Amino acid sequence: MAQVKSAAFKKASTRALHDQGIQHALNHVMNHFTEARASAIAADYSDESWDAMRTRAAAIKAHTIGNLDYYLDLADRSIRRNGGHVHFADDAADATRIVIDIAKRHDVKRAIKSKSMVSEEMGLNDALKRAGIDPVETDLGEYIIQLAGETPFHIIAPAMHKTREEVSDLFHDWLKSAPTSDIARLCSIAREALRKHFETAEMGITGANFVVAETGTVVIVTNEGNGRMVTSTPRVHVAICGMEKVLPAIEDLPVFLRLLPRSATGQRTTSYTSFISGPRGPSDEDGPEEFHLIFVDNGRLNLLKDEVLREALSCIRCGACLNHCPVYRKVGGHAYGWVYSGPIGAVVTGPMTGMKQAADLPFASTLCGACRDVCPVKIDLPKLLLHLRHRLAEGTGSGERAGTWMERLYIRRWHDAVKTRAALDRSTRLGRLLQKPLVRRGKVRSLPLPVISGWTKDRDFPALAPKSFGEIWRDGLGPAREPE
Amino acid sequence: MPAEEHPNKAAFLQRVREALGRSDPLLHMPDHPTLKAALPRQEEKVRTVRARIDVLRAQNLKKLAETATAASWHVHGPIAVEEAAEVVAGIASGLRAKHVVRSTEDVFRRVNVDSALRRSGISPTVLAAGRSRGRSALKGLAFEADLGITGVSYAIAETGTCVVTPRKGIARLTSLAPPAYIALVEADQVLGNLDEYFALTRLVYQKSRGRTPTYVNFISGPSRTADIEQTLTIGVHGPGVVHMVLIA
Ligand code: SF4
Repeated sequence: MAQVKSAAFKKASTRALHDQGIQHALNHVMNHFTEARASAIAADYSDESWDAMRTRAAAIKAHTIGNLDYYLDLADRSIRRNGGHVHFADDAADATRIVIDIAKRHDVKRAIKSKSMVSEEMGLNDALKRAGIDPVETDLGEYIIQLAGETPFHIIAPAMHKTREEVSDLFHDWLKSAPTSDIARLCSIAREALRKHFETAEMGITGANFVVAETGTVVIVTNEGNGRMVTSTPRVHVAICGMEKVLPAIEDLPVFLRLLPRSATGQRTTSYTSFISGPRGPSDEDGPEEFHLIFVDNGRLNLLKDEVLREALSCIRCGACLNHCPVYRKVGGHAYGWVYSGPIGAVVTGPMTGMKQAADLPFASTLCGACRDVCPVKIDLPKLLLHLRHRLAEGTGSGERAGTWMERLYIRRWHDAVKTRAALDRSTRLGRLLQKPLVRRGKVRSLPLPVISGWTKDRDFPALAPKSFGEIWRDGLGPAREPE
Repeated sequence: MPAEEHPNKAAFLQRVREALGRSDPLLHMPDHPTLKAALPRQEEKVRTVRARIDVLRAQNLKKLAETATAASWHVHGPIAVEEAAEVVAGIASGLRAKHVVRSTEDVFRRVNVDSALRRSGISPTVLAAGRSRGRSALKGLAFEADLGITGVSYAIAETGTCVVTPRKGIARLTSLAPPAYIALVEADQVLGNLDEYFALTRLVYQKSRGRTPTYVNFISGPSRTADIEQTLTIGVHGPGVVHMVLIA
């Protein structure tokens, strides 16, 4: 599995905040995404009709996930009836083994890939290389970060943090192309370089946006056309997806095909949507001879088991919650330390990879709710983040952190200090006395107490006012009283 | 013969089931409206869809021209069927195309693209099965061509989409590998929206007792990317120039 570096969230996010390149890219791109989304929705929908569509999509997803065993079984039978092969992988290692076995059987030397987030979870490219197979990412953004040896910065814009100059340097180093600052030129350099791979690779690897259970159809949405290439030219096609990607019937697709492109890139539709239901037919002369679909668990059961977190499996990976998140918009994607970033990354990384190392992520949110408001499948992300915080604080579940004895002590003392009116008044008077040496211009600059001192590291604490509101009220600033 | 069941399937599904708080498989199909619609209900639904398509034909054509233009198609027509071949040849000459490939949909029987192209000095190659050339040679032809032409199964007005269902030959690459592409759309192939398309498709699936086309593509404009600095660039892997010829 790809390495999880989420334990370093605080350090990595501080670094990102001081990285001018990253800040510039985020400032430049994030508004572009949010504006494009808003105008694409407004062009075709009223607030009510858009909302109704989200409700419908959320209901379809909740239904499917609530009966996931049934739909996975149905999808499996349909795809095999269509002549395909279906695999069930418990974890990243399992899925990787399956891919490599298929590759070995077909004597594959070169594999071309179109975007698949699950293959990022698996760290598939490195595993393929170790097995002597040369993997090439064909989505332009993924290709750029593959050359750079990095992980995606954003679910749908993996290389958004790279400037044209950096891309030009990468192409110069790897493809010996002449340096240029013309983006169209850079695209055509990539086109030429990847064409050769399209013509010669023996195996195509893709993700799946949706898998329709009834007809056994894998749906892949792309703009560049690389998804079509990867599923047309090689002898073998392997699609890899999370087990939650299944939908009951093709007539469930329209809402998702409307929600996804508008939420993701602000388009009415993407350039290409491919529907693949097995290997090529007897009269086709292109298309793969063999088709495989791998359903992957890799920690998703931990989400499914928790009745609150289950909702996160409805995610269609549109990236809208990232684009609207005040935290993501400042720290970017790499700080989150694994494959998924932003609010959805903060929710799924811990349960999928182990809560301990990702314990900071649920706290990387202001709980402003912007993510929930834009999510096309209405995932209540703030609720899920709070739920995870609760789990972490209560120490339920393995590897999770209960509060320290010190924290518990503070909470108990706090409880004593505020539990009755009289106690609150008493503690307020005491507080005014104790804060005296610390107050400068109405603010407490630092609280010299263990644990609590962290609170004032980056901000001031407002000092207790000389008079409370209750006291001001009693002293005659309240409404005029009836004369007695 | 279907492939064997994966050895991990039963255990995998059992774990899913237990995570959902059940210990046994469901006895009945879950209650889901789209899945439950059996053949007679679907037939009725499709009758309604067809009636609507008939009534709204003119509007749908107009809407398709708008959405397709918005999606960066160059839209031609609607034109009479007799003129379509000349329009195609005109586009090809305008593109200075030398190597033209086409697929084998029915529309080519009504629109004689080949002779119109020949009159313009272009000799098209039909990328069909049954030719003596091997598969990789055909693949090479598609990659060398500078224009691909196909018919469509449907067009969808809602999204400016051509639905292409490659059946014979190397039809998958005809609309993908060359830098320019022409889609021929006949008026009776135009649907209003995605729901109509999927209702029709599901009926075909039900009627054929579980057979479904191997490969269907929605094409909604040129190949595009914004992966470098979020700057829109067209023609990265697929065609950068796409024409839609509407035939009345
Ligand atoms: S959680 Fe919602 S908004 Fe975020 S990526 Fe998933 S579907 Fe999109």
